[in-house]
Amino acid sequence: MSDIDIKRISYLAKLKLPSEKEEFYSISLKDIIKWVDNLKKVDTSKTEPLHNVTEKTVSIRNDEVSKSNSVDDVLSNAPERAQNFFKVPKVVE
Amino acid sequence: MKNSISQIKKALIEKKMSVGELYDEYLAKAKSGNNNSFNLVIDRENNISSINDSQNRYDNGNPLPLDGIPLGIKDLFCTKGIRTTASSKILSNFIPNYESFVTQQLLNDGSIFIGKNNCDEFAMGSSNETSYFGPVINPWKNKNSQKDNLVPGGSSGGSAAAVAEGSCVASMGTDTGGSIRQPASLCGIVGLKPTFGSCSRWGIVAFASSLDQAGPLTNCVEDAAYVLNSINKHDFNDSTSSNHQREDYLVDINNSFEKKIKIGIPSDYLEDVSDDILNQIDNTKKALSKHGIEFVDVKFKTTEYALSTYYILAPAEASSNLARYDGIRYGVREDGESLDDIYLNSRTKGFGDEVTRRILIGAYVLSAGYYDAYYRQAQKVRRLIKNDFQRILNEVDFILTPTTPNEAFKIGDKLDPISMYKNDIYTVPTSLAGLPGISIPSGLSKNGLPLGVQFIGNYFEEKSLLQLAALAEKELSFNE
Amino acid sequence: MSNNWEMVIGLEVHAQLKTSSKLFSSSPNQFGSEPNENVNFIDSGMPGMLPVMNFGCIEMAIKTGYALNFKINKHSVFERKNYFYPDLPQGYQISQFEFPILSEGYINIESGDNQKKIRIERAHLEQDAGKSIHDIDPKYSFIDLNRVGTPLLEIVSYPDLSSADEVINYISSLRQLLMYIDVCDGNMQEGSLRADVNLSVRKKGQELGTRCEIKNLNSFKFIKQAIEYEFQRQINIIDSGGEIEQNTMLFDTSTGETRAMRSKEFSHDYRYFPDPDLLPVNLSQEQIDKIKPLVGELPQDKLNKYLDNYSLDKDIAKIIIAEKQNANLFEKMISESTVKPKLIAAWLVGDIFAFIKENNLEVDSLNDKTKDITDLLRLISDDVISNKAGKEILPKVLNGEGKPSELVKELGLEQVSDSGELEKIIDEALVGEEENILKFQGGSDRVLGYFVGKCLKATKGKGNPKLINKILLERLKK
Repeated sequence: MSDIDIKRISYLAKLKLPSEKEEFYSISLKDIIKWVDNLKKVDTSKTEPLHNVTEKTVSIRNDEVSKSNSVDDVLSNAPERAQNFFKVPKVVE
Repeated sequence: MKNSISQIKKALIEKKMSVGELYDEYLAKAKSGNNNSFNLVIDRENNISSINDSQNRYDNGNPLPLDGIPLGIKDLFCTKGIRTTASSKILSNFIPNYESFVTQQLLNDGSIFIGKNNCDEFAMGSSNETSYFGPVINPWKNKNSQKDNLVPGGSSGGSAAAVAEGSCVASMGTDTGGSIRQPASLCGIVGLKPTFGSCSRWGIVAFASSLDQAGPLTNCVEDAAYVLNSINKHDFNDSTSSNHQREDYLVDINNSFEKKIKIGIPSDYLEDVSDDILNQIDNTKKALSKHGIEFVDVKFKTTEYALSTYYILAPAEASSNLARYDGIRYGVREDGESLDDIYLNSRTKGFGDEVTRRILIGAYVLSAGYYDAYYRQAQKVRRLIKNDFQRILNEVDFILTPTTPNEAFKIGDKLDPISMYKNDIYTVPTSLAGLPGISIPSGLSKNGLPLGVQFIGNYFEEKSLLQLAALAEKELSFNE
Repeated sequence: MSNNWEMVIGLEVHAQLKTSSKLFSSSPNQFGSEPNENVNFIDSGMPGMLPVMNFGCIEMAIKTGYALNFKINKHSVFERKNYFYPDLPQGYQISQFEFPILSEGYINIESGDNQKKIRIERAHLEQDAGKSIHDIDPKYSFIDLNRVGTPLLEIVSYPDLSSADEVINYISSLRQLLMYIDVCDGNMQEGSLRADVNLSVRKKGQELGTRCEIKNLNSFKFIKQAIEYEFQRQINIIDSGGEIEQNTMLFDTSTGETRAMRSKEFSHDYRYFPDPDLLPVNLSQEQIDKIKPLVGELPQDKLNKYLDNYSLDKDIAKIIIAEKQNANLFEKMISESTVKPKLIAAWLVGDIFAFIKENNLEVDSLNDKTKDITDLLRLISDDVISNKAGKEILPKVLNGEGKPSELVKELGLEQVSDSGELEKIIDEALVGEEENILKFQGGSDRVLGYFVGKCLKATKGKGNPKLINKILLERLKK
């Protein structure tokens, strides 16, 4: 089993773990990954992945517009709002 | 014995009570309950128009299928204008402006929501201990240590406890790896997970999209059929919703089978299990054999891989499904100097330990270098598991298994995640295969705690599955 | 010196599809609405919301497949590309990864005097993101999700391009084709067509270098500037002994320079996996075949037709086919009249386009004037008016000031084609010109021009020059 880079994983998951938690999750993840490692012994060389038990084709809709909500409906839960925008601290790129 | 939906409807039709009185009776229990089974209870005045409309329909002699029935709704279903939290801090202030497909069907059929049931945070848990609003307590007590508070199972623990404690007639849960069946078993009630694709996922806070399925938790099998009739409908807005013709699940539910029925018992499921559990299988076998049902041994080839598969796939999907909770558009925003801080703080403080753990597992198994070894391999094994079930369901009509490997345990007893995950051993394989499963109470443990058995049927064969469960229920019913 | 260096460029072009609704939601796909006006619960990533595929997008992708010579895949899969950004509400973008809808296409572009085949690796459908507005407040950004979920077709070329001009020709050709088949409005300013440029440099004939990606360019001018700047930047680094770091670059339009985006603590890892909310797209051959007729005539087809059937000059034909609306206007005029296509074409690319440009008009705005234009051209080819008079009347016709025949009368521009009248004028003009007459008869053709000019002047320019010519010759030969 490979080492788990907890800093990198929490970076990908957009989480900022305090250092004691990093340790905690690092151990926990190692245990779990070790536990699921038994899958490696299954021969799946002739098996296709199963994305969904419903192996049908995606349902489609026609290209038609429908509007069923107001701008307020979308913004009513916003933690911060300015007029009809969501408001956040400036994005620096 | 608690009143069933048909008994309550009869009483309402015969004017032995009013819809308002019925509501008050359950509301009083919901409010006085000590089991923390609700995150939110809806006062009578906030449901007054529904109550009045329902009463009018009874008065006019044309009640709807679930008219006036007080239901508990797992706090994972978005309910319009009613706070919906998924038992998470990050959604603890969220009020949806839309109604989930399933709860809309229940409203259309006249039912009245008494409140939102506590559950594991984002439905991730097997004991209802991960809720931001605190653990749910199982209404049942171990007769040998009455003071201990026991878990109700999870993740639909609040839904199960609410039905068991009598604060709603029936409740809605969701099942991803056993989250309806397992708490139903530990709380001594009926829990049905329909075939994946039966009930729309639209408006249900997503945990693992390829596994999540809504279903009822009820006092009896017939009640499950009542609820299933309402919620089992094709929904165009859920691309994975099946558009097959639905049946009336109440018709024939109490009839015996016309053809000879064969049930498989997977011997590999019963290795190293306690006598308590073995007794459940034996009781059920005896009871149904009286009705001419044949039992055969079957053997799965994939059982030992099911939990690993599940605990890769479900967290992988969850890690992505929970990416939308960031404190930007809704939910609880934690302060931060920069936008990045807001993201990091809102998510880190907004999610509890178990949810964080699963997000991390999910991000790991999908990340570059590990995807093939874990995620893709798990998807392949999932196909093998599905094939395994199909092979066995070609030989037998149903499969009988225990629902859980043990009775309800003490709150705080299982701290290690892996031993917690092992609670799902009998329910997870069915979920991976997408098959329907129902847990019914089958007896009591030596400690006087309820246990259940699970029947598994073929795809979209809920009707015969309910028929079988109803038959078994008549033989197995026990009194508290 | 950059003489020994060459650039190797691959492009990712994002074309917004002009469907009515979004890729996975029924919200309007519309530019320029009020903030968050075109946003529903799916677009804003509300809990429990699920995507539903818009078949219009599949149709447009298939049309593109035909136009760009792609293999159209019956089986394609939507996957989630996971990353965090405030204008990405779901925390992932639904895109296609392992199984795109289109693969292995190409187009031919002009490179100098030659044609060059540019191979296209793939094209896939994906969701566009929203927009953050940074310039209203010094401390805050404002998020508008209107663009979220707009269908994009990302067209990924092989690194077959080797100059800024080729890149521009490639994008122009793509743009032209996408507009022809009516899947993209081609409006680069509004962001309907954007390009990411992957550029590396190498000494001629040597191995490929490390590439940098310049993100999100939406004008030909910026693309050219960015490529030229980045080319030089990379050469300078290598020449001074440095190494190119694989980087994502931003182009600063105010300075004309590229700069690396703030480097992250860790590299990106998008963790693509099949979207469990969606099932695979499986198309039947019939579904694909049904769309073929919707593709219509492509620019190359039109060019051949114009050269073979209408005998247009290649340069003129190319100007007309450059934009579909030009060709539409041209073909409408041909279908509505018997005026020679060549005359129509000459006037179209000449005075008519000049008028459009001068008045800042859309070509389409002349669609209801075609009958008037061809009527005017008919008057010219029938010698009712002179070419010059035609040029005078055209703007009035295009401005809708009147019908050509009425305007001719009103302005008195009708040519004098009455031979009796012209004979009289000519006879008068020849009075006292014995010396010149003798010169003509002595073989000096130049004198004829002098006489025609004199007669035209006498008619105040309205005399039919051809007729004057004819009568003059008769008179002079006597």
